[in-house]
Amino acid sequence: MTSTKRLLLTSCALALALAAPVAAPVAAQDVAREDTVIFDLDRTIQDPENFNWMTDGTGIRRMHGAHQAMWEPLFILNYGTGELDPWLATGFQGNADSTEFTITLREGVTWSDGEAFDADDVVFSTEMAMGNEELTAREVATLRSQVASVEKVDDLTVTFTLSAPNPRFVVENFGVRIFGSFLVMPEHVWSQTDNAATFTFNPPIGTGPYTFTSAASNRAIWDRNDDWWGAATGFQDLPEPQRVVFLESGGEESRAQLMATNQLDAAQNLSVGTFEAIQAQNPNAMAWYPDYPYAVADPCARQLEINTTVAPWDNAAMRKAVAAIIDRTQIVNIAAEGATTPSATMFAQYGSMDPFISAVVDAGHGLPESADVEAGQALIEGEGWSRNGDYYEKDGETLAVEIHVNSASTEYTRTIDMVVEQLQRAGVDARSVPVENSVFWGEVLPFGNYTMSYSWLSCGSVNEPWASMGRYTVQDVVPVGERSPGFNNTTRWDGPAAEAYSEVVNAMAAMPLGDPAIPGMVADAYQHLDAEMPFIPLVQAFKLMPFSTTYWEGWPSDENYYNHPFFHWNSGHQIIHNLTRAN
Amino acid sequence: MTDQNAAVPETAAPDTAGLTKAQIRRMKRFDNPWRNPKLTWGLGLLLGIIALGLIGRLFWDTDMVFTGSGLPRQAPVGLENMRGQVGSWAHPLGTDVTGKDILALLIVGAPNSLYVGVLASLIGMSIGIFLGFSAGFIGGRVDDVIRVGSDVMITIPPLLILVVFQAAYGDISLTIMAILIACFVWQSPTRLIRAQVLSMRESGYVQMARLSGASTMHIMFREMLPNLVPYLFGSFIANVTTSIVTAVGLEVLGLGPQRVPTLGRVIYDAINSGALIQNLWWWWGIPTILLALMFIGLLLINLGLDEVSNPRLRRL
Amino acid sequence: MGRIPISYLINRLTTLVLTVLIAATLIWIIPRLSGLDPASAALGRMAAGGGSVANSDQILEQLRATFGLDQPLIIQYLLYVKNTVTLDFGLSTASFPTPVAAMVGNALPWTIGLMLISLIVTFIIGNLLGALMVWENTPRFWKAAIPAAMVFTSIPPILSGLLLMYVFSTQLRWFPLSGPYGLNVEPGWSVEFASSVLYHGFLPALSIVVVTFGFWALGMRGLMITVQGEDYTTLAKAKGLRPRYILYRYMIRNAILPQITAFALKIGMLVAGQVLVERIFAYPGMGKLLYDAILTQDYPVIQGVSFVIILMTAIAVFLVDLIYPFVDPRIRHGG
Repeated sequence: MTSTKRLLLTSCALALALAAPVAAPVAAQDVAREDTVIFDLDRTIQDPENFNWMTDGTGIRRMHGAHQAMWEPLFILNYGTGELDPWLATGFQGNADSTEFTITLREGVTWSDGEAFDADDVVFSTEMAMGNEELTAREVATLRSQVASVEKVDDLTVTFTLSAPNPRFVVENFGVRIFGSFLVMPEHVWSQTDNAATFTFNPPIGTGPYTFTSAASNRAIWDRNDDWWGAATGFQDLPEPQRVVFLESGGEESRAQLMATNQLDAAQNLSVGTFEAIQAQNPNAMAWYPDYPYAVADPCARQLEINTTVAPWDNAAMRKAVAAIIDRTQIVNIAAEGATTPSATMFAQYGSMDPFISAVVDAGHGLPESADVEAGQALIEGEGWSRNGDYYEKDGETLAVEIHVNSASTEYTRTIDMVVEQLQRAGVDARSVPVENSVFWGEVLPFGNYTMSYSWLSCGSVNEPWASMGRYTVQDVVPVGERSPGFNNTTRWDGPAAEAYSEVVNAMAAMPLGDPAIPGMVADAYQHLDAEMPFIPLVQAFKLMPFSTTYWEGWPSDENYYNHPFFHWNSGHQIIHNLTRAN
Repeated sequence: MTDQNAAVPETAAPDTAGLTKAQIRRMKRFDNPWRNPKLTWGLGLLLGIIALGLIGRLFWDTDMVFTGSGLPRQAPVGLENMRGQVGSWAHPLGTDVTGKDILALLIVGAPNSLYVGVLASLIGMSIGIFLGFSAGFIGGRVDDVIRVGSDVMITIPPLLILVVFQAAYGDISLTIMAILIACFVWQSPTRLIRAQVLSMRESGYVQMARLSGASTMHIMFREMLPNLVPYLFGSFIANVTTSIVTAVGLEVLGLGPQRVPTLGRVIYDAINSGALIQNLWWWWGIPTILLALMFIGLLLINLGLDEVSNPRLRRL
Repeated sequence: MGRIPISYLINRLTTLVLTVLIAATLIWIIPRLSGLDPASAALGRMAAGGGSVANSDQILEQLRATFGLDQPLIIQYLLYVKNTVTLDFGLSTASFPTPVAAMVGNALPWTIGLMLISLIVTFIIGNLLGALMVWENTPRFWKAAIPAAMVFTSIPPILSGLLLMYVFSTQLRWFPLSGPYGLNVEPGWSVEFASSVLYHGFLPALSIVVVTFGFWALGMRGLMITVQGEDYTTLAKAKGLRPRYILYRYMIRNAILPQITAFALKIGMLVAGQVLVERIFAYPGMGKLLYDAILTQDYPVIQGVSFVIILMTAIAVFLVDLIYPFVDPRIRHGG
């Protein structure tokens, strides 16, 4: 016993002695840890030498600090108020039928190489996006599908003419609604290249308070530019961190250990249990809420999508039965470990969505928080099924369903495990079919190759209801086996109710934001969703993104709500500007 | 183990003078080499794990492998979790973060893991032995084809084939997973056996057998195979473990059977849910101990079989 | 020993070329058997990130054209063969338009550094311990300790990695948690960089060594038992040579031969096998690159990484075949 102990101690000491001489590598351009803020990056930078975000379908060429520190958006949408906070632009004006928008740019903005940022850059970037179909990034494709022409009025004013009325034009393209926005690129650099699709934009420049220092596959480093235009013009003070780092972490356990040892200041999504364990080791760790549910909702509320062309689920009563059987409170407590809330409607529950959610709930639509299994079973029995042993049967056939679920995250599989157990207990022979991420998104969802699936296809609305509701209209219905346009209405919801729904929603599409008639129309359309249930809203998406106050304070939270905490989004600028050194 | 004495020199005459009674008893036991203590212990361990699976099913509700069977994060009996809740007999080995009962998971999972490992290794080794002997002994075109074939299969990254298979067929069964893993364990034995056969082909006893007109099959499987037994069992045991660990790896990539619990899946779920930092040691620790027990069992069988086939290794 | 006969050399070279050619063709065919469409997968990734995807049909068509998927299969294959011969694997589809050669080039040094070193260390330790398990003069302590230590072999590498990480990085804080080198270090020919790389590579390498040496030890043990019974060992003993001399010069030297073959074969398996260790330590090796590529249907990267693995393995096997007859006089070239 003692000899074993001695052996262990000796070998440990030996290992330490070996490690000590190499323990403190010094670099020339050291920035102190107290002056550095380190964000978590949940993926690998496969191409650290390429900064062309316009050909990037995944967002990795911008979310590694580029669009949080270097490239700035024109506006940033505030999730609490639904307002657009001005950034590189100061305001915009739309015409009466929302086909023309004039954006005013901020005065005194310069690129980090000293060139002025002006209307020419905006016009150049927009025209590049419109003219080059090889630029396939989501933000480029969105802009290309909407803009008919763009014109410079003066150095600080640009007018966009749209091909169809779109009251959401500015927020969709320039407002950081979800993840990114269309980023304006410097004309004096990009005009030098023949083909924007193969241009790597290295070294990159931007208008932001940080410039690019270095990048490798596991990290990107950005250093403060003390000559930033924003400080000079009085737009914003220089942010306090001298260096911003985005560091790849390898999964939940590694991320948790980095966070517990203060090697990360902000981490990506973690489970509640892990977060509590981090807090036990590092009392400076904080989340959006100081207590349950800790996590904040992202805009993509979770739901059970039901293919309305597959029997017996082509019957609205059967779909409603499933909705009644599913106990969403149990999903919250078990699958989400208490980190979220049941959804009342299809919408993400932000302050900016309140008027629409209230309108739906006040009209008596939407789902209750708890299950009513008897009611669900009564609906099934009403369709001629009778319970025989464990399961319902009709004409010798067992009532069964396969639920496709993306195997990429335990959140998905756990939730569906829970739904499967609930359906099993109620007499439906449910089974989960986990599929690999790209099969799920590439083959299963768009072609309607499923009976039920766990997804978030009503994602879109943040400050107005159409972006989500417009995804279930009848004009997007295609037969099973054909690709649903834009991943819209993959449930193939059709028929009189769907047509009535589409009529209201389509009328809403061109109405200006904030029109007082909209909440009433939302409630009117929602009655058809409630009656036919092409998808069942489950719970709010939950992201528990912990921050550490060891080195930096001023992180966004429910109490300090300047915006949502998604630091990997284009809105990360706000977070970096709000940080102050601890102590 | 019975190694309290240094090895008896093999040249020593069977002189029983000066030996204790216990040693004499042990020596008599060698009349039946199969009554080897290592073999017995090893088999006992493996049978114990299988018994856990069979008997456990009778006495424990295996439906508790599903989500939400109990309160999440319960500690084993008599211990406390991080929230200070004491474990109860409702879940003697505790629960995971979704309330799955660990004991039920082990009862179902341990035999499953063993099954995959043994089956994959068995298939892989059989192919390897057959092809290795054929290539080494028959030679010529057969040798060329087998050699190129196994070389090609050695170089192809296993991940590639497994992912493609999963994408094409969706959920797979334990048996299919074992067969897939077997596709990647036959190449090494094939090459190594071929090399051994090549060197043995020149040795005296094989030449002798050939001169005395023995058939190719006879020489291959009656004369040469027994000489390779220690090596083959060594690789078989190693392959069972490799296969179990490979299966764990596949499950981590979401490529294993999804609704069938295995030890690998339990460990993976634990790792993926931050079990280490949450100090839920029972969640990953107990299945790891079971994996280790399986390995020890296999190792003891390996050592025991060597002693059976090779009397020089036996100790008093 | 003698010179290598030309006919033997030609035979082995033909095998080498044939192996690489067939394997390269297989890695082109296999991903396409899945029937998955990389363009559709790319579009799916976009959709997963948020709301409706505008212009989805046009994006899809464009992606197919950019990825070269609108060409007939046979043209795609010929193009692939032509490019591969010049070691140009085309452009990645998931990280379009980054050249695959650059991505593989970035990952290769890390894989060779970390994985090969841990493989060599494992090989030496494993074989030595395996030999000691059989040797008659091994001290009793070691005879008991070695089989006990082999229990580690049953631990999945990802768990060993996380446990080492938890003990040595989070609790004791002796080693860094992740990455191939320190945050304030830039790659270059400097002592800082080199020591930082060693410091950061220690735990990932250790977590591989701990769980794999047992396989070598087991294999070696089996081979040693065979060698122990050979006439030359008995003769050496009868001559009264020192036991240690017999161990190294007679037993290990003969038993190690098949292990060397196994070493060459392990190279390919190793890259694929250490994916998870690379992932938890955020280590930028080929395993992680391959894994990410498979998950994103990035055919060119899959082909590039696989081809490098194939080439490395095939050449190693070729060399082993070539030198084998020199070290084992019982085998003649030509067999």
